[in-house]
Amino acid sequence: MSITPLQVRRSGPTPVVADVPEEGPIEQVRYACALGAMQTVAAIPRAIPITHCGPGCADKQCGALAFNNAYQGGGWGGLGVAPSTNATQREVIFGGENRLRELVTHTLDLMEADLFVVLTGCIPDLIGDDVPAVVKEFQAKGAPVVYAGTGGFRGNNYTGHEVVTRAIIDQFASADAGPREHGLVNLWAPLPYQDPFWRGDLAELKRLLQGIGLRVNVLFGPGSAGVSEWRAIPRAQFNLVLSPWLGLATAQHLEDKFGQPYLHLPVPPIGGRQTSEFLRQVAAFAGIPDAQAGAFIAAEERDYYGYIEAFSEFYSQYRWGLPARFAAIGDAATTLSISSFAVRQLGLVPAVVVITDNTPPEHRDAIRAAFAKLDHDVGIEPVFAEDSYAVHAAIRGADFGRKPPLIFGTTWERDLAKELRGFILEVGFPASYEVVLSRGYAGYRGALTLIERIYTTAISRSA
Amino acid sequence: MAINLRSPSAETREQRLGTITSWDGPASRLANESAFSRGDCGPGCGGKGQRICELESPFSQGSTCSEQIAESQASNVRDAVLVQHSPIGCAAGHINSNAFFRNGLMRRGLAPRNVTGLSSNLIERDMIYGGAEKLRATIKAAVKRHQPKAVFVATSCATGIIGDDVESVVRDCEDELGVPVVAMYCEGFKSKHWSSGFDAIQHGVLRHVVKPKPGPRQDNLVNIIVLWGSDVFTPMLAELGLEANNILTVASVDEIARASEAAASATFCYSVGGYLGAALEEQYGVQEIKAPQPYGFDGTDAWLRALAKATGREERAEAYIAREHARVRPQIERLRERLKGVRGYVAMGAAYAHGVIGVLRELGVEVPGSLVFHHDPVYDSHDVRQDTLGHMIDAYGDVEHFSISNRQPYQFYNLLKRSDPDFIIIRHGGLAGLASRLGVPAIALGDASTAIGYQGMIDLGEEIVDALAQRKFHQDLAGHTSLPYKQWWLDQADPYLLARQNAPQAAGSRV
Repeated sequence: MSITPLQVRRSGPTPVVADVPEEGPIEQVRYACALGAMQTVAAIPRAIPITHCGPGCADKQCGALAFNNAYQGGGWGGLGVAPSTNATQREVIFGGENRLRELVTHTLDLMEADLFVVLTGCIPDLIGDDVPAVVKEFQAKGAPVVYAGTGGFRGNNYTGHEVVTRAIIDQFASADAGPREHGLVNLWAPLPYQDPFWRGDLAELKRLLQGIGLRVNVLFGPGSAGVSEWRAIPRAQFNLVLSPWLGLATAQHLEDKFGQPYLHLPVPPIGGRQTSEFLRQVAAFAGIPDAQAGAFIAAEERDYYGYIEAFSEFYSQYRWGLPARFAAIGDAATTLSISSFAVRQLGLVPAVVVITDNTPPEHRDAIRAAFAKLDHDVGIEPVFAEDSYAVHAAIRGADFGRKPPLIFGTTWERDLAKELRGFILEVGFPASYEVVLSRGYAGYRGALTLIERIYTTAISRSA
Repeated sequence: MAINLRSPSAETREQRLGTITSWDGPASRLANESAFSRGDCGPGCGGKGQRICELESPFSQGSTCSEQIAESQASNVRDAVLVQHSPIGCAAGHINSNAFFRNGLMRRGLAPRNVTGLSSNLIERDMIYGGAEKLRATIKAAVKRHQPKAVFVATSCATGIIGDDVESVVRDCEDELGVPVVAMYCEGFKSKHWSSGFDAIQHGVLRHVVKPKPGPRQDNLVNIIVLWGSDVFTPMLAELGLEANNILTVASVDEIARASEAAASATFCYSVGGYLGAALEEQYGVQEIKAPQPYGFDGTDAWLRALAKATGREERAEAYIAREHARVRPQIERLRERLKGVRGYVAMGAAYAHGVIGVLRELGVEVPGSLVFHHDPVYDSHDVRQDTLGHMIDAYGDVEHFSISNRQPYQFYNLLKRSDPDFIIIRHGGLAGLASRLGVPAIALGDASTAIGYQGMIDLGEEIVDALAQRKFHQDLAGHTSLPYKQWWLDQADPYLLARQNAPQAAGSRV
């Protein structure tokens, strides 16, 4: 039987919604500030961020990212643990270097951790504290402390993440490079905490990469060995960047610094087709024999498609209105991976995609190209917007056809989903109405979980 | 001391009230040391410059700021819009405020919906060239998009340092747009305690929202200055033939505006409502209730009687009080039976804690220790009848370990070890998780009304019974967890050791 190819679907011209220029007001935030990268540190086992900032900055960033965002838990020791100078009028007027020195001294005395990262907020960056100089005093004594300039006006927690990552590599992890280890890979994937599913996704990605015979520096989360993995970064055979843009600068930096090659796969894999393709691409790059990777893939597919086969009975004969078109709102990585899965695995059609991570302009064309060919017959032009007013205008302007829209979004889309009588899955920051422990949507196993979530949500309407 | 509403910004609490954030000792000693502020401690005690000795620790963990409080309040006014003039990170607080708002609406019987807040989204360039024009554009966008009844504007550390002329922009916009544009001066670094944020919004509301020329006095209208709790006041006041005007959180702009027409103002917590209550009395003659807060039999009786006296409803109040005593006492007796020998620990804002400790003692729960996040030696009325700490001690006895700290988990460990409670009652995030790791269940009082009034004693008692059952979860965890502190600190008995070592004299430094 032959299948007639569909026309390439496009969403038409980009909805004209932005009533404000770029870098204008942002309504209902979808990321934290650069200091939010304190949670990048908190995601490393036994690492603790030290924040040099005003009294509420650390609380706001980690509260937003780690609490009312899927209630993920704050990291080593929990919410509120991060030491902070809690800068006052005194520091603003007289400078905060002495206060920082005092805080780091007592942190090292009091706290149990393998790595501390000093992050700055707006105050020290505005008044001109020489934070590197203060931290270098401790480094000279061999203390495991690094510094990262993350003043809130310098960027968001995506760019802050790259700053922190690079700070740890340059100031902590590159001293004892050692010989290259074949089969060892550094994985640069989801943004911890911003992505509520990062722990589960990393666990699945690590399992998959190990399955084809690699050893993985997963770097963040419970599956990481902590600082020993960071110290092993320079020894890896290569870097694997699994995101449209995040982590790419780090991989390029590592290539410059250690001559380490990298493989950039912009679409984090969800589902059978994407995951098998992903594993073959990695295997080819890593020089893993086809047969070795192929055997693992075959076993995984047997499992995966067994479940899909069982699900097909529901999918083909549930008669009470399942969604056909979807909206994806979130960062470039999340929207691209979920859209690919929804299109290629479930045969859903995108009605609108809004990318909300303030993607650096130089990466936007590549992302547009990736969305243009989600599959051979389906593409869409994404909207780049961070202001929820514009985001929601774009969703309202989309054509969802006769069926209730399926919205992959955030808490900010809750009310809109009601207005449109659609189904909502909170898949990105903020996800205040999801509780996530180990759940992830990546790979084969994550895809099954995602299918469960989508269709439990859909059929719950008549429950 | 009069509140100066001609100034665009409220004075900080440490300036106005002598607020402190770090102290340790028995509650009775703190009450004595605070007595100067009420002028009743005899000659040679009071006078300008008098302050309570404060402990200052060289180690600190992230606290909370006044901007966060101002934001959480302003974003939760139903038909207003919040503008945060700041880099994007301050607006991360939306996530938290949104959860408060959705729950707050539900508790008041309204449909939950998201908060509407805009950040002026300042970036590096704005730090150099100034952000005033972005603020103007953001306020205009807020009004054009949402047609709010008021716009609240929160300042930030960054705008405070670069010196944006927020007042001029706000004034221009108010004139041009024809809606109240309320500046809240709440730069985090300016006050060491977040409760200054309550004053920041209340000051702004008094200048821009409350009717400056009130209509006729509404003799049955009483402002109740509340947070997100269930509306327990409407039924309570109805018994006296009064209407509760619940402000500011989850209120409408009109409800806030009519505050100057009310007969009286009262609150569940003078830490939260003291500034607005005092200013409404000074400025508009709205009587502020000066009595203990409505917790436990003693406090609730006194609060109702003061309210009844102010509004001429003494007989109805006495009848209601008698009915409620008769209804509630047998249930309290049953709860006292169940809670015999149970130890509780209270960690929350100061005046609120004083009330909740009273309720625990009504329930027969032992309270060997308590943590308050700050201490105001006096509230803005400077009236001894609002001495909530003194009332707690007089009515319910001393608290041996009464500690003040602005939410420091490293100290909280030793504080809990010292008091060894069976459960904690807590407000504000960031500490309950630590209790859990020690095997101690927490009652996170999300509904600020839980403990209020006669029924509040029963409700809180039942919360405790539920929480004690959950010890299984926490004790299971305690056997499988570790803490990020060195052993010498975990072995340390004195939670304030670092501060005491830091002090120039053993007694602590004078601030």
